Amino acid sequence: MEDISAPVCIQIRHVSKKYKSAQENSLTDVSLNIVRSDVFGLLGPNGAGKTTLISILCGIIPPSEGEAAFIIDGKVLSPIERKSRIGFVPQEYAFYQELTPRQNLDYFGAMYNIPKNELLERREYLLNVLGLSKSADDKVETFSGGMKRRVNLAIGIIHKPDILFLDEPTVGVDVQSRNAIIRYLQSINEAGTTIIYTSHHMSEAEEFCKNIALIDHGKVIAEGDIQDLKTQHNVPNLQSLFINLTGEAYRD
Amino acid sequence: MFKIFSSLRKEFLLLINDKTGLALLFLMPLLLVFIITIIQDSAYKMVNENQIALLVVNKDAGKEGGKLVNTLKKSGLFKIDSQDQIEQSALKKELLARGKLIALFIPPTFSAGLESNAQDVSNILMQDLGLESDSTTREKVDMPRLAFYHDPVLQENYSQSVMGIIQSYMGMIENSLMIDRMYASMDLGNKSEVLKEKMISNRVKIDPIVASNNNSTVLPNSTQHNVPAWTIFAMFFMVVSLGSNIVKERINGSFLRLKTMPTTFMLVMFSKMAIYVMVAVLQVALTFSMGIWILPRLGLPQLTVPENLIALLAVTFVSSMAAVSYALMIGAFARTEQQANGFGAISIIIFGAIGGILVPTFVMPAFMQTASNFSPLHWCLEGFYVLFLKGGSWRELGLVFSFLGIFILICQLATYFKLRIERIL
Repeated sequence: MEDISAPVCIQIRHVSKKYKSAQENSLTDVSLNIVRSDVFGLLGPNGAGKTTLISILCGIIPPSEGEAAFIIDGKVLSPIERKSRIGFVPQEYAFYQELTPRQNLDYFGAMYNIPKNELLERREYLLNVLGLSKSADDKVETFSGGMKRRVNLAIGIIHKPDILFLDEPTVGVDVQSRNAIIRYLQSINEAGTTIIYTSHHMSEAEEFCKNIALIDHGKVIAEGDIQDLKTQHNVPNLQSLFINLTGEAYRD
Repeated sequence: MFKIFSSLRKEFLLLINDKTGLALLFLMPLLLVFIITIIQDSAYKMVNENQIALLVVNKDAGKEGGKLVNTLKKSGLFKIDSQDQIEQSALKKELLARGKLIALFIPPTFSAGLESNAQDVSNILMQDLGLESDSTTREKVDMPRLAFYHDPVLQENYSQSVMGIIQSYMGMIENSLMIDRMYASMDLGNKSEVLKEKMISNRVKIDPIVASNNNSTVLPNSTQHNVPAWTIFAMFFMVVSLGSNIVKERINGSFLRLKTMPTTFMLVMFSKMAIYVMVAVLQVALTFSMGIWILPRLGLPQLTVPENLIALLAVTFVSSMAAVSYALMIGAFARTEQQANGFGAISIIIFGAIGGILVPTFVMPAFMQTASNFSPLHWCLEGFYVLFLKGGSWRELGLVFSFLGIFILICQLATYFKLRIERIL
């Protein structure tokens, strides 16, 4: 395997994506470096290409051009190794609402090849830390939006991933649930997990992320440290930066 | 191993949490078998047993009336209910009261009239031959008339056929009587038997030749049809549970999430198939148990389990796989749960109707019998017919397995390519 110098964790090189049915590229020549233990925000308006980029990085869809390399401990991960080391929390409630949180975590944990005893321990820890213990044996379909988001997150981190992809992890939840989720994400980031995160909440992103990439019409239009970008564009906050660069017009 | 166990456990939990699906899978076939078998039993008896229920009132003072009744009994065509005490004036009322459709009244002068007529014929013959006829003076009795009562609901050709059969037996009795009289007039004693044998028994025979599609002469009874038929129907109705289960997982992103995990999607599909094949086997066990132990208690025919148990297991497994594969395909192609439920259920009802589940194919017109070959439910049912009616002949099951094998392959391939297009596989 190729030895690549740390601390780059994900190298995205000239990635483009064009869906068969689409007339234009969803992503065009995207190149990014994401460093280890970063909280990296992929920000952009609706339809900018954020979810497409996350889908490519998670191996759900292949890029039309370009490549993305995952580097951990100086080694480029094979596609199989990559699946064991990443976690994915999609925007949708991608689990079984007819089952309980415990049953969902048991199933998805087993799919990550976690040994049974370790899985039981990890499951109880996550249920506790995400405030789901009391409802752990209730069907998820009876839960509030915030609780469902926490179940969605727990599944994505059951196997202690090195790299965690979060696609709008706090959409549609109340302040309490959002704070709980962000607090927990900050704690696992401090423990070394690299987080790649998309959101429409600019204040949340500003508080949570260290580095960002602003994507619009499938292209990276700004990238770097949030403070540097604000200084560079002479704006008080991330929201102003976002509006400055993407405009006020509606997006479909 | 833990992964396979967890995957199977998840499918099992999803199944037992789907109460409507469970009711459709297990309660529906039991109710359908129970209700439809009771409804269809009398119709099957009419088709299969070929015995015409006939109320007979024999008022004949002689022995010829008794001979006619015995001949009708021995023919095997009639189920005779002899009620000689009933008066002719009350016969119409009795016929309706006893739920019979036809009745035969033999008058008191039946034998006397026949004998008188036979004597007349004998005398004419003797005179024509220039021989001395029997000069004994006998009372002249008119030729008797039988009264044939029939319910107006019967088709005319049916009544005519029954009268034709009675007429045919009457001809035998009359001829026998005439030969006896002629031989007696000629003082030939008991030598008439050879001639009677030649004239009455040695007649032109008609060979019946079956003109059905499969040349089968054996027809199922109501239990042998309805138990497997509605079990197969319920097996295929798993499209509502399994199909919508797949659509849900496709739509909510669970399948895509699994794609980011170090597992194979084949495990997911294998688990679904394994659990639902087990469901189908349970359905067979449940409805067959009903056919063996409960239906006979209701006066319905008992389901006799075929001796070839390996063939029974093979037919059950292949039918289950056909049902599961169809449900997977519907689940892969439907865009919404409503589509999967609606199209899935309606397509099964149509396949069932064409395939002889609702109405057996042997009573369908020829073109519908040909169309039934395009229904997977028909081939599943054929498999069970081979078990029940032909002792599970492997040669005949070969055709059933071939068709169902092709059907399973088409469904599995269609599912595979659809999921490939959606990048789930």
